[in-house]
Amino acid sequence: MFPNKAAIEGIGDAAHLAEVKGRSLWADARTRFFRNKAAVVSLVMLGLIASFALFGQFFAQYDKGFVDFSLIGSNAYKGVPSIETGHYFGTDSNGRDLFARTVQGTGISLMVGIVGALVAVIVGTLYGATAGYYGGRIDGLMMRIVDVLMSIPFMFVLILMLVIFGRSIFMLFLGIGLISWLDMARIARGQTLTIKNKEFVEVAVATGVRPSKIILRHIVPNLLGIVIVYATLLVPSMIIFESFISFLGLGVQEPNTSLGALINEGARTMQFGYYWQIAYPLFFFVITIFAFFFVGDGLRDALDPKDR
Amino acid sequence: MFSFVVRRLAVAIPTLLVLVIISFILMYSAPGGPFNSERPLPPEVLANIQAKYGLDQPFWRQIVNYVWGVVSSFDFGPSFQYKDRSVNDIIAQGFPVTLTYGFWSFVVAVSVGVSLGVAAAIRQNSWLDYLAVGISVGAQVLPNFVMAPILVLTFTLWLGWLPGGGWNGGQWQNLVMPVIALSTSYMASIARITRSSMLEVLNTNFIRTAKAKGLPMRRVIWRHAMKPTILPVLSYLGPAFVGMITGSVVIDVFFSTGGIGQFFVNSAFNRDYSVIMGITILVGALTILFNLVVDILYAWIDPKIRY
Repeated sequence: MFPNKAAIEGIGDAAHLAEVKGRSLWADARTRFFRNKAAVVSLVMLGLIASFALFGQFFAQYDKGFVDFSLIGSNAYKGVPSIETGHYFGTDSNGRDLFARTVQGTGISLMVGIVGALVAVIVGTLYGATAGYYGGRIDGLMMRIVDVLMSIPFMFVLILMLVIFGRSIFMLFLGIGLISWLDMARIARGQTLTIKNKEFVEVAVATGVRPSKIILRHIVPNLLGIVIVYATLLVPSMIIFESFISFLGLGVQEPNTSLGALINEGARTMQFGYYWQIAYPLFFFVITIFAFFFVGDGLRDALDPKDR
Repeated sequence: MFSFVVRRLAVAIPTLLVLVIISFILMYSAPGGPFNSERPLPPEVLANIQAKYGLDQPFWRQIVNYVWGVVSSFDFGPSFQYKDRSVNDIIAQGFPVTLTYGFWSFVVAVSVGVSLGVAAAIRQNSWLDYLAVGISVGAQVLPNFVMAPILVLTFTLWLGWLPGGGWNGGQWQNLVMPVIALSTSYMASIARITRSSMLEVLNTNFIRTAKAKGLPMRRVIWRHAMKPTILPVLSYLGPAFVGMITGSVVIDVFFSTGGIGQFFVNSAFNRDYSVIMGITILVGALTILFNLVVDILYAWIDPKIRY
């Protein structure tokens, strides 16, 4: 079959365009991403939340550890949020400034989310790419291990670990890291299976490049798009995960705090009418999670070749 | 089919063993035993107590004893904190509660989620569709520990319709909020999965054929579209089960329902190792069993699966 005339002209047009300005796949993806309004708005929201967590402390009138003893017992009418007293978000039940605490909590929650996602990305991608690249029996064994680990209710094991080794942020990171890479490994393996039969990998093999170098230099960069998408979607689930544990009182310990811990404190005092103590942390929690989900969705539409 | 079940069991049993061994090693390597208190016991008393609980034996002996106890007589040993109760007693007390509201949450999540998703897919781009999509996006950011305070705020503190906690023998008033809090985010996920799966199925050739031969829409949906639609939902049920059983901890703590989650967290604070281990293993076994059932169902429904 000969291509029809219109198609040939189309090719001519495209070639003409290519001469004027080259467009990389990344630039294409960027255009697609910025066309998605919800994702762009969410990205701006994330920027605002991040700057709130980073610079909010400079606007706080009180130190996050400062306890205003005069407020204890009269929280309901003296600790309400107001501009005049300088407690923008009110005070918590111990008489500490809730604004400063929320800044700190948002920061820690964001940090846990991002570090957790980073661990997942690095470990999961390398593991999945290795399993997918070698294939055969190694692949079978490595993925069977993932299957086994996936069917364990990890929250319980993590709580067991927190009890035994003491509750600290480090243990929390370790526990989150232990769980989060499993999904990533599966995704990376699936992608690797399709990439490893491409010509450029064949060329690399033929020219005698070591397998470890093929994985790092030729396979992992091609996984990048899908990895970024899932990393963005992982951050909110890591934040939810950490907040879950902190809500139970087993996560981040005083004097540090996280959004989950603040929601927990607020939930305990809301029956006395101190609604602001749960409202502000809850607001920041929901907004953060929402924003990450929308940015992740936008990135998926922009980068994932499957769902177009 | 039989060999498939056998092969799946061959994976499930080692998984459970790995879980038992990991948690036992964790417990064994814990600094300080359960009987280290601020006022140290006389050495001979301590030795007697340790002999009673078998803690004086070598590591391999202890682990073999424990595993054998669990396997042969389903015996998780005594609680280290409540001297007169065994772990089995605690599980027997808490588990029915967890099972009750867990069961209802599961039923609500699956039935509401699937019907919402199917309705949204059939009436694509109608107000119903937008409502369903809106709910499923919104509920994504409302995990159980966020839902629970919001529900209490609304229904107990504001409207005063429902009790804010307690179990009360499983009265429906006490069940409503735990079930909603636990099921919402899974219901949303199931609705989303069902919707996109149904949309995909409705575009296939066999549905076109079914419509073309003049079947009424209801029959097309029920007889032809439902089965392939349900497959992705089925494979989501495994993770949903794990999530719900994990979420039950929050429900128990927040609503004081008295399920195993409450004992779990209390034991976590009291360092009551045997209870923590017993519950972890029980939950692990349930999860593995559930995944097995889901896999078998999947293989049964989907003719493409070879086994």
